Amino acid sequence: MGAGFLVGVIGVLILSHATYSTIQYRALLKITEEEFSGPSINVVIELIVSLVLCLWAAMAAPGNFKSIHPQSEENRVVALPANLDFMIFNHRGKIFPLETELKLK
Amino acid sequence: MVTRTEEEEVNRLENQVENGGGGVWEYLCLVHKLKLRRSDMVLKHGLSILNDSKKRSALGPEEWTLYEQVAVAAMDCQSIDVAKDCIKVLQRKFPGSKRVDSLEPRVYRKPPLYLHKVGGWLRTHHHVQNPCPEPHLWDSHWICCCCRLEAMLLEARGLWSEAENAYSSLLEENPFDQVVHKRRVAMAKAQGNTSAAIDWLNKYLDIFMADHEAWRELAEIYVSLQMYKQAAFCYEELILSQPTVPLYHLAYADVLYTLGGLENLQTAKKYYASTIDLTGGKSTRALFGICLCTSAIGQLTKGRNKEDKESPELQSLSAMALEKDYKQRAPSRLSVLSSTLRSLKI
Repeated sequence: MGAGFLVGVIGVLILSHATYSTIQYRALLKITEEEFSGPSINVVIELIVSLVLCLWAAMAAPGNFKSIHPQSEENRVVALPANLDFMIFNHRGKIFPLETELKLK
Repeated sequence: MVTRTEEEEVNRLENQVENGGGGVWEYLCLVHKLKLRRSDMVLKHGLSILNDSKKRSALGPEEWTLYEQVAVAAMDCQSIDVAKDCIKVLQRKFPGSKRVDSLEPRVYRKPPLYLHKVGGWLRTHHHVQNPCPEPHLWDSHWICCCCRLEAMLLEARGLWSEAENAYSSLLEENPFDQVVHKRRVAMAKAQGNTSAAIDWLNKYLDIFMADHEAWRELAEIYVSLQMYKQAAFCYEELILSQPTVPLYHLAYADVLYTLGGLENLQTAKKYYASTIDLTGGKSTRALFGICLCTSAIGQLTKGRNKEDKESPELQSLSAMALEKDYKQRAPSRLSVLSSTLRSLKI
């Protein structure tokens, strides 16, 4: 969690740096009165790096993945629910009623 | 379905609740969600919440669900008085249902119609002028529930004909109430009238074909009557509707193995194998099933000089898995296992 979060922070920082340098670059173009044809190469590289880092963080930071396989140890079905809709009351438990004096007050 | 993690959670909470460590409400919720039959625990600890007015009011609207849960648990434990009291509380909260106790034919208040919800051509209907607000929908659910609980109470007291009357009038009211249909089946079963239960269930399944619980009940009734062919059909339906539940595969394979015959045995072996696949090799019964099937198939095909198409290593693999499992969990029984396996190998 800690490492993933740190990676995410670095990614966002790089992204904001890319934004900042683009704004700078456009301001420079305005002064030199040149046409804007596209962002410079180091901005593109920064964008790609930050994308990868943020993706990594989004996968790693929120928590671990859980298995979706039906045969995995957590998902393994071990019992069926009691068929409560078909529950019948005259079973052998009738002979052994609960001894405690339970009462709804 | 109760998965491994859920089972562990229930056992943990049950221990905690038994030792007075709190978490009673979580435990009751989990029991309700997983549809477990722990009636004695639900009765004891549910009542402890219901008798404590502070805890009870903290539940909000869930309180009434708890009353219902405790009422059913009390019937299961034959604490008729507690069940009666719970139902009385529900009736006081949701008036509108007539008493079912008397023998004369009963009239239930019809639940309000919600035609305005349908829209379109019904818009001119007078219901639109005074549409029923949402809470009434909730109420009518509970009124039905009260009637059903009362009928179940009659059942628990063994007053079969009265309960039957109550259920039929409930069905007149709402012919598609699945729970009431199922209660009738259960009642026939409780009276030992299995053939009637089968009839009711078949009629029910003609209408509600997707109800896998009913299919399971029918399969279990058929197995108890040794009608394995019919049971196999029910298990086929269950596997179709829930293909990832290994227990249905296992039960189907058991039924086929019991039926016998070369073809059935081969199919049974395949389903045992799929059970092993779906449980990650943790099903001891399926491992034994593979061994038994292979040995039975071997006996049937011994005279014939047919080529064995099935993979021969399946049996030795499952035997190895069994031995490993026994070594780990029950080392003292290992000798019994190896002698059994030796007698199976022909």
